[in-house]
Parts: sequence; C-alpha cells; structure tokens
Amino acid sequence: MSEAAAGLYLHVPFCARVCPYCDFAVRTGDAARRARYVEHLLAEIELYAGYPLRFDTIYFGGGTPSSLAVEELARILETVRGRLACAERCWVFLEANPEDASREAVAAWRRIGVDTLSLGVQSLDPAGLAFLGRRHGVDDARRAVEWAREAAFQTVSIDLIYGLPGQRPEDWRRELDRALALGPQHISCYQLTIHEGTRFGLLERRGRLTQLPSDEQGELFRLAHRHLGAAGFAGYEASQFAAGPEHRSRHNLKYWDHTPYLGLGPAAHSFHDERRWWNLRRTDPWQERIEHGERPVEGEETLEARALVLESLMTGLRTYAGVDLGRIRARWGVDLLSANGSLIDRLAAAGLVELDDGRLVPTLDGLAVADGLAAQFDLP
Amino acid sequence: MSETRNFCIIAHIDHGKSTLADRLIQHCGGVDARSFRDQILDSMDIERERGITIKSNTITLDYTAADGRTYQLNLIDTPGHVDFSHEVRRSLMSCEGAILLIDASQGVEAQTVANLYLALEYELELLIVINKIDLPSADVERVRQEIEADLGLDPSDAVLVSAKEGTGIPDLLEAIVRKLPPPALDREAPTRAMLFDALYDPYRGVVLYCRVKEGVIRAGQTMRLMHSAKEHHIEEVGQLRLKRVPTAELGAGSVGYVLAGIKTVRDVEVGDTLTDAERPAAEPLPGYKEAKPVVFSSLYPMATDEYPELVKALEKLVLNDASLTYEKDSSTALGHGFRCGFLGLLHLDVVQERLTREYDLSLLLSAPSVRYRITLHNGTVQWVDNPSYYPDPSVIARTEEPYIKGSVMMPERYIGPVMELCRERRGENIEFHYLAVGRVELTAELPLAEVLFDFYDRLKSITQGYGSFDYAMLDYRETDVVKIDILVNTEPVDALSQLTHRDKARARALHYCERLAEAIPRHQFKVAIQGAIGGKIIARTNIQALRKDVTAKCYGGDITRKRKLLEKQKEGKKRMKTIGAVEIPQSAFVAVLKTDTDS
Repeated sequence: MSEAAAGLYLHVPFCARVCPYCDFAVRTGDAARRARYVEHLLAEIELYAGYPLRFDTIYFGGGTPSSLAVEELARILETVRGRLACAERCWVFLEANPEDASREAVAAWRRIGVDTLSLGVQSLDPAGLAFLGRRHGVDDARRAVEWAREAAFQTVSIDLIYGLPGQRPEDWRRELDRALALGPQHISCYQLTIHEGTRFGLLERRGRLTQLPSDEQGELFRLAHRHLGAAGFAGYEASQFAAGPEHRSRHNLKYWDHTPYLGLGPAAHSFHDERRWWNLRRTDPWQERIEHGERPVEGEETLEARALVLESLMTGLRTYAGVDLGRIRARWGVDLLSANGSLIDRLAAAGLVELDDGRLVPTLDGLAVADGLAAQFDLP
Repeated sequence: MSETRNFCIIAHIDHGKSTLADRLIQHCGGVDARSFRDQILDSMDIERERGITIKSNTITLDYTAADGRTYQLNLIDTPGHVDFSHEVRRSLMSCEGAILLIDASQGVEAQTVANLYLALEYELELLIVINKIDLPSADVERVRQEIEADLGLDPSDAVLVSAKEGTGIPDLLEAIVRKLPPPALDREAPTRAMLFDALYDPYRGVVLYCRVKEGVIRAGQTMRLMHSAKEHHIEEVGQLRLKRVPTAELGAGSVGYVLAGIKTVRDVEVGDTLTDAERPAAEPLPGYKEAKPVVFSSLYPMATDEYPELVKALEKLVLNDASLTYEKDSSTALGHGFRCGFLGLLHLDVVQERLTREYDLSLLLSAPSVRYRITLHNGTVQWVDNPSYYPDPSVIARTEEPYIKGSVMMPERYIGPVMELCRERRGENIEFHYLAVGRVELTAELPLAEVLFDFYDRLKSITQGYGSFDYAMLDYRETDVVKIDILVNTEPVDALSQLTHRDKARARALHYCERLAEAIPRHQFKVAIQGAIGGKIIARTNIQALRKDVTAKCYGGDITRKRKLLEKQKEGKKRMKTIGAVEIPQSAFVAVLKTDTDS
C-alpha cells in the first residue's frame, strides 16, 4: 500500500424530512428502520473486511448522520476500526442537523471521536430557513454552534446555502457576518441549485420558482470569497472556506485529486485503482444485496487516462491550488500544457487562470466559471 | 389509328393537381388499391409534405372510353412552382392538351394565369376543370366568372369534379378523349423527340423521358442529342407505367423512356432534342431554353469531417437535378464547402432539405445572393454572386443587379400594405389592375435580392394568406451595393458576409449582430459582434461574459456524473465553429441566416 491514505465515506440516508432542494439519496425512516440500516452497514463493512486500503479519514455524510443514535455511530466506528485498516490518527467527520445537536449529543459525538462537526445551518435568516424547508430555527443553529465550540472539536464547520430567489448582495453579506460571528473554523457556502425531481424542480417547471440569474449568482459567489477571505477564512475550493489549512476538509480533498476512497451505504461511490464503482441508490435493494452476502454495487467504470485527466481539470480548477500539470503528466502521461498552450495563454490574458510553477491556478473569476473552463481543454 | 392523348395538368399550388392525378390513375386501374399511396406521382417526401411537385413525373394509362375504344393517356406531370417554370415548359412542349385545374373556392390565382399563358404559348388545347366542388366554400359560379373575366376563356363546358371524393372523374376522362386532340403521327420524318425530363437510376444510369414528335425511337439505334451534339447507343425504350415497361419502339406521338447507358444527368440537357444519328433531323424542336441559376449560396458541412459526404451527396443529387450548379468554395470560418446556384429560393430550400434528410448531413448555408454584374474602371465585366469575390470598391465603375417582374394577386383590401411592402423593397413601376370585383393584381419591378429576404413570408402575413406571388426575370439595373462583413471578436465570419444595397446595410448588419448575439452562448469573456463595411464599423452588439457557472458541490458521486456532462459538452463542441476563440454553434448560423424575419 504505497498510495496516500484513503478516505472512508459512510452514507446515512435518513432525514426527518426531505428538503425541497435536495437530490441526494435520502429517505425518511423511524428508529427501527435506522437500526436495521445500521445492521446492514455493519454487514457491508464486513464484506470489505481486509480491503487493501489504509484509511485516515472517516466521513459520516447523508442524509442526516446525526439522526443515528450515538451508540449506533460508536458501533459503526468500532467495526470500521476492527475490520478495515485505519491510520493511528484517523480524522472523523460527522454531518449534523442543528435540531439534533443538543448539548448532550454534541458532547457525546466528541467523546466517540468525531473531529470535525459539520452543522447544516443552511441559513441564518428565518425567512431563508423557512424557504429552504428546514426544521430548525436561527437560534437552534446558534446554540448548536456554541455547544460544538464548547465540546472542543478540532473543527466546527457550518454549511450555508446562498443564491435564494431575491437574495441581494447585502442580504448575503449580513448572513456571512452572522456566520462569522458564531466563531466556526470552517464554512461551506453552497449556491442553491434547483434539480429535476425535487420539490423546487417541480416548482421551477411550473414557473413558480426561478433560479437566480447567473450574473447575480456570480456576484454572490465573489462576495463570499472576498468577504470570507478578508475575515481570515481563505477559500480553498469553490464552496469551501477554512480558518487555517488544518481546518480544511482533508476528506473532501481526496475526491479532488484521485486519492482512493471507499464509500459504504446506499448510493455511496468508491474510487480505487482507476476504477469507480457505486452502490445501489435505494436503501431496500441495498439491504437485500447485503443480505445475499454480496457487495451492494450497482455499477462501475474503469477510467481511462483521458477521463482521469478531464476529472482532474474539472475538480482541480474548482480549487485554489489549481491543477498540478506535472503530476498529471507523471501520473497519466498527458501533457496538457503543450496541447493547450494557446488556450492557456488566452485564459490567462482574460484573467481567468495563472500558470504558477507548473500549476494551472484559477483566479477568482476563473473559479466562478470553472465548469466551462474544464470543457475547453484539448485532451490529447 | 391513334388512340393516344398527351396532356398535363396545370394548376396553382394546392388546387389539387396531385389528388386529381391519383384519381385518374386509380380510375384507369394504373395501380391496385393495395399499393396506392395518395399522390403517387409526388414521389419525394418533401414534395409530399409541401404538397408541391418538383420533379415532373409521367405515367401512361389505359382508358376504355364510352365509344368502346381503348385510349392510351399519357399524363405528363408538371412541377407546381415558379422556380421550376423551365421544367413546366418542357412538359408543356410534350403535350397536345392541358387540363387547367381551378379550385372551386380559391378561384383563379396568379399561377393559374402564368401557366395558362405558357400553355397558350405552346398552343395547347385547354380543358377547364373546376375542382373541390365538395367544399362548403366552393363557389362554382364565381369561379366561372373569373375564368371568363381573368382568363378570357369560355367557362360553359368546364368539367366539375371533386378529386378528393372521386366525383366527376368519368366525365373528365370522357372529356379528355373527346376534346383534347390526338398527336400528329409522322413516323416517316427524321426522328425528333423532346427530352422533357431525366432522372437517375442507380442500376440503369440516366432514364430519359421523352415525347416523340416525329419518327421512331428503337433500341439499338444510335441517338444524337442535337444541342449538345453527343451520341449514345440506345439500350432500351418503353412506356412509363408505374414501373418501366419495355416496348419495341416509341413511335411519333408517344411518350416513354429511353435508356442509353448515360452516367449522369449532367451529360444530358433537359429540353434537348433526340434524333437518329444516322438520319438526323435538320433542326431541333423549338423552345429550348437553358435553366439559369439566379440564387446563390454556399453550403458547408457543419462537421468538417462530413465534407467527403457532402461531395458524394451533391454528386448524387445533381444526377437528378440538372438545374443545380455547384463549385468548390471555402471559408476560413467554415472550411471547405460549395458555392451552389439555384433556380430560386424554393429550389434552395428543397436542395437543403434533401441533403439534410436523405443524406443525413448537417449543413450551414451562407446568406443567399443574387448575381451582380460589375463593370470595372478598366472596362472589364465581372459577374459576382459570392461576397468573397467582390472586388475592391475603388476599382468598380458600375454595379448592376437583377430585377424581376413580380405579380401579386390578392383581394382588394390588401392593396395598401402590399404596395407599401413593394416600395420598401425598392419596387419600381408599381401598378395594379382589377381582375374581377374585389380581386386585384399588382405588378412591380423589384430587385431579386429584395425578394430573397422574407418577401414571401411578409406578403403572406400582410395578406393573411390570401396573396399569391409569382415572378419572372426581367433585366439588370444599376445599383449601389456594399459588402457587409460580420466580425466576432474582430475576426470576420466570412460565411456571414453579404452584398446588400447601401441603404439597407446598417439595418441588416445590426440585425445580423443581434441575431448572432442571441444565438451564441455566453463565454468566459466578453464577445463583441460587429458589422462593418470595409474597415468601418456600422453596427455593434456585445455578449457579456459568463459570470458564474461553477456548480456548488463536487464529491464522490458527483464526479462521474459531472464528467459525463462535460464529455457531452466537449462532444457538442466538435459541432461548433471556433472564430476568434468564440465557439459558435450551428444553431447560431441557422438563426442568423434564417430569412423569416429580416429587418
């Protein structure tokens, strides 16, 4: 195992209520269902027992992982440590909803070894929370962050959603200030995206909801990066800001540079040895497959150099670190620089990227249009 | 001994010509019910869809009349659009009689009149048929009055039919054999046959459709085409039933086909006269006119790797369309293509549709142009139909453009707006006269170039569909033309260059800029779109830079999905043209070059 330490992702699909914007693999479920799910997750871990990867991050994502009982989370962690190779210092992330984050629960999460608590605050404006269909109030969010700080996690992170219809720059700035005032070490700012198959998607189709125009989105995007940057929260990815390098999500970083990861639970994706595979999306079929003693994989793909390079561009141009051209050449034998010299010159002249010591680094304007940039490159 | 009648049906579009032909074929048992498709003579899909006939088709029918004799009826189909009037002529030249078909509710229309004049020019016996008498809006009396007033014909023995319902068809067949004259039967004279159509059969080569006027054509003969002076060995002759039926000979008066191993329709000129090489006729048949293209446009494959397919498709297309001309052309923006000449806008449309539909090609067409006559200061004359070859204005002494004589028939109430439209289009000598109570014909001399841009559509909308338009080439007149270039981020898009009248240049350039700005997706940088004459910018629009497209999240599961989206996007880019680093989708060229709502 010469590779960099891998990441383990555990998907907890349950939510008390499905948010109108969410297109993740989520479902509602009572305690009995959750318990049954936990048994199956433990069984899935067994199916990967001895998997030839060594993990140094464990990430509970969802859904709402905080909907599981502390004991359930502890059992999962214990099984992971017993059946999979984990580094001595293994960083544990837990996503939690403010309404689940009682003072006791928060303290218990810390006790069982959670290092980063990521709170789904989403908005610090009552109207925003109502629009987003969240169950908690602004005060719930405030208290949760406070208790989390008391419990002395390595990193307390909060998620915010912006780009709500009608949101003005001054609204967003005020919200960012409120977020900063809570004293987290990490902030994720996700622009509201309306997906097909969600409640918002339906409303949009009926003409009752409109996504903010891209110019206005762009303004809010730049505002977040400038404002948080000035407050000491350097952005390191399109949606991620940290109070210091040690607070960056070292788990998410693995997704962006093709470090291996194993994903367990419904819909979870894994990547290892230039192969990506993914689990059955719905919980029941996922459970059934496990009951048959099989890994609940729905599909897989083997990535050729071209696809890997495209992904590197796509994810790399979303990060402040940019794309390591030398590494791409060494890893996949693709010389992006010589194939795209004039494109890079043009993008640099337009102020979208900079070439910095063999790295192609997006400027803030470049970061805002990273999706389009990635599509421009010729892949020899 | 002659039991033959050669006739055609002439009618305005939509007056039911194809349906009537179908009914005649059905009645004479030319086709069994199972294999009968409506409008069987309109074999191309485009013809079926648009209800117009482009290639003429011909069929021989057997009809046993009330007098007990069996007649051979040769129904020579004629194309139904003004662009193809040369084809109409050849068809008419092959007949002794014509059915003049008039819609019982629409009455006499522009094209009816135009075709009637042609028929009279060739001294055809006319049989007036009023169709669609089943329609609630049919007004046979009014139509009779129009026939008398507008056409100067006697309406009293008009045959009333409903081709759709089959009403009146037996009467019509009787009238055909009684009223239309038999052909002259001079079998002894040197052979002369009118070549009125030619189409390409992949197995047998070119099939010549001809009408034997004098003499006999047989397999084994060596025939000579009198205008082109080429000789061919005849392999087979026969009748045009629903299939080709070989016969021993084609004698004077008959209509049929000739196979002579000819490879392409380029090698023959429709309208030419066939004669026997060993005993040639002294003179060809009269009335031969060369079909000249008047509208020009460049065709480019959207994907450059489709160029070889475009070459093949055009080669095949011209096998069957002798009036389409093409030569190599190339554009910095669009790569290799062809400059094509068409008989008119409809012909252009038809060619484009056939290439797209039958050959599955994705095409770009440059703005259609007329052919200008340019006299330089040194006295030399150049014909320019391609903006790329427009000379430096400083060497031009004088430019002339083609004019047409246009005729619009319409109800009286639309005369004001139609005159206004003609004036707007630089019309001269606009005149009108009453055809009948409430019906007016307006004539105007118009630059053909002005008719190329959405004239039909404007006319239709102004007259709420009641106006019909017809035109004939007139002459060349002095004009003031400029070349407009369209620049994208300062790089000219040569395929969008065009020649236009100076007074219209600014409006047209702005229109192009705006269309292009709407159709080009936003880029990561600002895109300037300009219209220019020479170095002078006369119109400008901008496409603001895209400010944000990055999606919120990109984790494990999103990566595959997102990559697939990007791959699709990259695939799509292959079908775009990059000009000045700006990616222009085909839809943008299409939107810009569409002529429906020109300024």
